[in-house]
Amino acid sequence: MLRTEINELLTQTGPGTRMGDLFRQYWMPALLAEELPENDCAPVRVKILSERLLAFRDSDGRYGLIDEFCAHRGVSLWFGRNEESGIRCAYHGWKYDVTGQCVEVPSEPETGNFCANVKLRAYPLVKVGDILWTYLGDPAQQPPLPEFEFVRVPDEQTYTSKRWQECNWLQALEGGIDSSHVTFLHSGQLNSDPLFKGSKGNDYNKGDLKPFFEVADTDGGLLIAARRNAEEGEYYWRVTPWVMPSFTMVPPRGDHPVHGHIWVPIDDENCWVYTFDYHPVRPLTDDELSHMHAGYGVHSENVPGTYRPMANKDNDYLMDREAQRRGEQFSGVKGIAIQDASLQESMGPIVDRTKERLVATDTGIIKARQKLRKAALALAEQGVTPPGVDPEHHRVRSAAIVLPHEQPFQEGVAEAVVARPGVAQTTV
Amino acid sequence: MQMRPVLLNSCARAASAAEARFRIDVPIAPSRATRVVALDEESEAAVRRVAEQDWHHARFYSVGGEGLELTRVDGATVPLVDELDGVDATVLVASSDHGAEAAATIGAACTVRGIMTAGLVLTTGASVAAALTALRPHARVLLVPAEEEDLAELLRAIRA
Repeated sequence: MLRTEINELLTQTGPGTRMGDLFRQYWMPALLAEELPENDCAPVRVKILSERLLAFRDSDGRYGLIDEFCAHRGVSLWFGRNEESGIRCAYHGWKYDVTGQCVEVPSEPETGNFCANVKLRAYPLVKVGDILWTYLGDPAQQPPLPEFEFVRVPDEQTYTSKRWQECNWLQALEGGIDSSHVTFLHSGQLNSDPLFKGSKGNDYNKGDLKPFFEVADTDGGLLIAARRNAEEGEYYWRVTPWVMPSFTMVPPRGDHPVHGHIWVPIDDENCWVYTFDYHPVRPLTDDELSHMHAGYGVHSENVPGTYRPMANKDNDYLMDREAQRRGEQFSGVKGIAIQDASLQESMGPIVDRTKERLVATDTGIIKARQKLRKAALALAEQGVTPPGVDPEHHRVRSAAIVLPHEQPFQEGVAEAVVARPGVAQTTV
Repeated sequence: MQMRPVLLNSCARAASAAEARFRIDVPIAPSRATRVVALDEESEAAVRRVAEQDWHHARFYSVGGEGLELTRVDGATVPLVDELDGVDATVLVASSDHGAEAAATIGAACTVRGIMTAGLVLTTGASVAAALTALRPHARVLLVPAEEEDLAELLRAIRA
C-alpha cells in the first residue's frame, strides 16, 4: 500500500509536479518517426506530460515540437499549413519555425519587428532509431541522447510500435516489472505466439509455477530476476532490467528477437506504450516483422490510422470466453499487450494504492516506487540528477540463463545484462 | 449468442474516474502477521531500529545457533514454532552468512506451514555473496543489497 500523498507524488506528471520534474530530466519518446514521414507532411498533435504540443517536419527536414496553440488567438496550429520551412496558422496566417519562433505576421508591416518578440514554447525533437525523442527540461541540463540498444542497432534489426493505454503510466510500468503475472496471464502465449514459442526456457517456465525472485539495485534502476528449477542442480533465471523512469526489457526466449517497453505519460490518466523488438546480431526476418505488425509478441493490432488497439475498453477487449475455457488465453483476451492493458485499465485511470494488499513477491514494485520517490525528492530538494539520465545506464539487456545452484545470478549474468554491440543476447 | 452490456457498469468502460466512486468502500482487512528475524549482529541493530516504528502485527527478533529459539527485542526467548503460529510472512535479514543455519531452520519451518518468506541482504561488497548463499534457498523473494529503509518500506507495503 501507499499513502495517498505518495500515490499522488508518483502518478502526477504535469508541469510543476515532483514526478513531472523528474520525467523532465530525461529524453522521452514523443512519437514514432513514421508519424512524420517526409518534409512538409501533416503535423501531429502530441500530448506529453500533460503539455499539448504540435510536432512537424519542415521543408528542410528539421523536426519541431512546439506549443500546439497560436500565440495570437489561441487556435490549434494542427489546422495550419506546413509549408516553406514553417507551420502557418490557418486563422490569420501567423507562421512559426521549428524553434517556435514566429517568423511572419501577415497583418503587421513587413519591415517591423513585431514577430521577433513572439515565440512559442518549443522543445528539441531528435530522431534516434525509429523514435523521435524530446526533452522537456531545462535546456542547460539537457543530457546526451539515449543509448538504448534497440535504437542503436542497424535499422533492419529493430522494430518499434506504439499503443495508447488508458491509465496512469505507473500502473502500466508496474506490470512491466511484475514478473509473477506471466505465469498466469500470459501462460497461453508461451505455446502459441510465433514470437515466443519453441524455446527451452518455456519448458522451465511451465514446469515451475512458483518462481523465486531476487531484486538487485543498479546504478540506473533495478535488475529483477525470476528463478525457476531447471535440470538437476541448476536454476533457470530470467532477468529483467528496469532503467528509470520507465524502460524495461523482457528476458529473451530462444533466438527470438528481444523486446521491451517505454511508458510515457500523456497526462495523468493516459500513457503511450512504446514497444520494441530487436535482435542484437541479425536482421529481423520477414516472418518476424509480419507477426509484429499483426500484433503478436508484445505488440498490438491497432485501429488502422491510429495507435489505439483494436481490442479496447469500448468493446470489452474482444473478450472470448470460449478461448478462456479452452485455455488458449488465461483471461480470454487475445495477445500479450492487450492482456496487460485490459487488466491495468480495469484498475481505473489512477489506481488507489491506499487500498491494495501487496505481498512479499511484489518487492520489485515496492523497490521501484521507493527509488522513484527518492529520486523525485532528491531532485526537488538537492538538485540531484536521477538514475537513468546517464546514457551509460541505457546500455542494458535482459537475459535468460541457466546457472548452477551455487552461482549467484548477479555474478552469472554480469556480462549478459550489458549491451555489447555485435554480441548475441544471452538466452535459453 | 453474445450478450451485449446494457449499463455502463456492465462493460469495461466502467473503469473511469467517475465510475470509481461507486466502488465498494470498506476498511482494508486486518494487517498481516509478519515476523522479522535478524540473522546476525549487524542486522540485529537495524531490525531493532525498525522495530521502534509503529507496526500493526509485526514482531521482531534476533536469532542464534540452530534457530530453534528466537529472541524478542525485549530480550525474552521464545520457541520458533510458537512464534510462527498464524503467521503469513517471515522476513529474514542478513549481513553475512553467520545465520545460515538459523535461516535453514526458519526457512524449513515456514515452508512446512506455508508461510511466505522474504530475505533482505543488508550489506555491500564481499559479504553480499556469503549472505546471499545463506538466504537464497529459503527466501521466496530476496532484495539485495538492501538498506534499513527497505525493510521498513517492505513492511509498510504489506501492511505489517
